[in-house]
Amino acid sequence: MSAPRYKTFREAVDALIKWTVERLERTPFAAFKFTFPKQYISPYGYLGTLTTIVFLVLGLSGAILMFYYTPSVDLAYASVKEIEESVPFGFVMRQVHYHASNFMVLLAVFHLYYQYFSGRYKIKNEVLWVTGIILGILTVLEAYTGYNLILNQRAMLAINIGMGLTFAAPVLGPSVAPILMGGGYFDLIVRFYALHVFIIPLLMLLLLTVHIPRALIIDLPMIVGVIGAIFVVGGMFPAEIGIRFDPSKGLVEVPEWYLTSIYAFLRTGSERFWAGALLPLLFAIFFLIVPFVDKSKKLSWRDRPFFTAMGIASILMIVVTTVWGFYVDFSQRNVFDQLYIEPIIYYSSFGLMTWACFFVTYRYLIKPRGKPTPAKPVVLSPASGAVAVAVTLAMVIAFGYLALMTYAQDLPNVSMFNMGMALILFGLMLHFYRHTSLTAAKPR
Amino acid sequence: MPDSGSSRRRALKAMLTVAVLAVIAPFTNLVRFFYREDTGSAPRQRIANTSELKPGSSLFFSYPRTGDPKIDGDPFRQWILIMTRDGKLRAYSRVCVHLWCLPIYVPERGELICPCHGSIYKEEDGVAIAGPAAFQPYPTNALPMMSIEVDEKGDIYATGVVDGRVGLGREWKLRSPDTNLKRV
Ligand code: FES
Repeated sequence: MSAPRYKTFREAVDALIKWTVERLERTPFAAFKFTFPKQYISPYGYLGTLTTIVFLVLGLSGAILMFYYTPSVDLAYASVKEIEESVPFGFVMRQVHYHASNFMVLLAVFHLYYQYFSGRYKIKNEVLWVTGIILGILTVLEAYTGYNLILNQRAMLAINIGMGLTFAAPVLGPSVAPILMGGGYFDLIVRFYALHVFIIPLLMLLLLTVHIPRALIIDLPMIVGVIGAIFVVGGMFPAEIGIRFDPSKGLVEVPEWYLTSIYAFLRTGSERFWAGALLPLLFAIFFLIVPFVDKSKKLSWRDRPFFTAMGIASILMIVVTTVWGFYVDFSQRNVFDQLYIEPIIYYSSFGLMTWACFFVTYRYLIKPRGKPTPAKPVVLSPASGAVAVAVTLAMVIAFGYLALMTYAQDLPNVSMFNMGMALILFGLMLHFYRHTSLTAAKPR
Repeated sequence: MPDSGSSRRRALKAMLTVAVLAVIAPFTNLVRFFYREDTGSAPRQRIANTSELKPGSSLFFSYPRTGDPKIDGDPFRQWILIMTRDGKLRAYSRVCVHLWCLPIYVPERGELICPCHGSIYKEEDGVAIAGPAAFQPYPTNALPMMSIEVDEKGDIYATGVVDGRVGLGREWKLRSPDTNLKRV
């Protein structure tokens, strides 16, 4: 049998793709159904995919950071400083890693609430839902172990509080905390490192195999856009390294934003485990059991006012406690008064918020409305589509060039911003491209 | 006999169970891998001389000191020696009994204040009077103390005898804080 001959290069490529796809059918990949949408679709439906993509970005940037980071009590801070200040491109990598973690937490929360309000935890999706909640908790733990690796003042406060809370847990606490601590912080930092770069991500990947539905939407323009947004935010608000941990200094430092809500609970002076772990856990438990409580067949949030009200109340509580946790009254002279949160006001505000949400939901939100008219899709003519592609292309080139220039001028943050803009515009260009190839294909 | 088949199977299963247990049993020691075991030395260690302190001042020391900054910087080895405003010597663990941050001494107020959630401890006996640590039940509301000795030259030594448990608290109603200070 002679080797097949192909007339054109295109034919050969097609044959190679066909060959590969047929062989991949023997692998688990065949179970997935990937959809590459040909036009804009609302990202709400695939927020989970976006979260996963950001998770991959974190994995990549984190793996690169491992080349320089040293997990040691006396060297960790200096190695992060080195990455940030003297390793070429280290600034960008660290900022990407940091801001991607914020994006991941945020996207995961949006994903959760979109699925919640559209009742997606029903219709045999219970396993997806429960693994999703666990993944969410693991995401926060992953972020927590991550920002502690810098060993700055903020990290040490977070470590102390986290360990104290673990230790204060009933029954298991006293035997679990030493596993994390080892003989002291010189052990702890290595153990947190192992957790952060290997154990927790591995758990997340394993859970992900159960959590990923078989039909996946891969929307390239949006994915590129989100990655670009990470760069833009990183360039505009670069995260600081903070002050090196020094046990002889007493500094008030607020934790990362996804933990300030727990911090607010602790500052009320309530029993520590109850305030710092059990109450936030109640939140998680509510979401864990919701598919087993909400047994109705109805999916739309309008038809499930009780759960809608609970959902809105939980969002409001997250926002209020998060903001409250940030608030430190520096007009007071001593630390205690700066930080103290009056528990009566704090806890009664929860009752008030819940009541308000139920009131608003039952009174206003669930009123039936007329059928919403679907928005008419914007259609560009092939000619203007081509212009749009050309214009975005020009802008991508401009920002790419600017990014290179500003990097050469030692302005890594400006460069990072420009890289992000180039990425976002590239996503836009991809969108115009697919749109135009669609409109150009079908003559009107 | 109709039963012999099933009893034979039962015997086989029992043997299998025993074998599995025998293989697993040695692995129970793996649990100890996760805990770094304490070598448990409590050396007598010189901290300072009384001439280095004046009323209303403090200094930090790590105990037990190893000379390795990596280990000595550990929060659980952080102690504070205070000469109170009326001249008494006190050595407290610096680990806040609330959630393990490290309080500092504020001489103007004669108090130790924790930067994390604002617990306040009295210099006199290390008992929390405000903040979350103060709301914790006895005996988890006081800083552990190190017994110290002062010799005739004025050298201050940490004896390694700890009154209370670091990070947890001290039964301060049983003993007066003065019992932790000896002159030799
Ligand atoms: S850790 Fe000291 S007050 Fe919370």
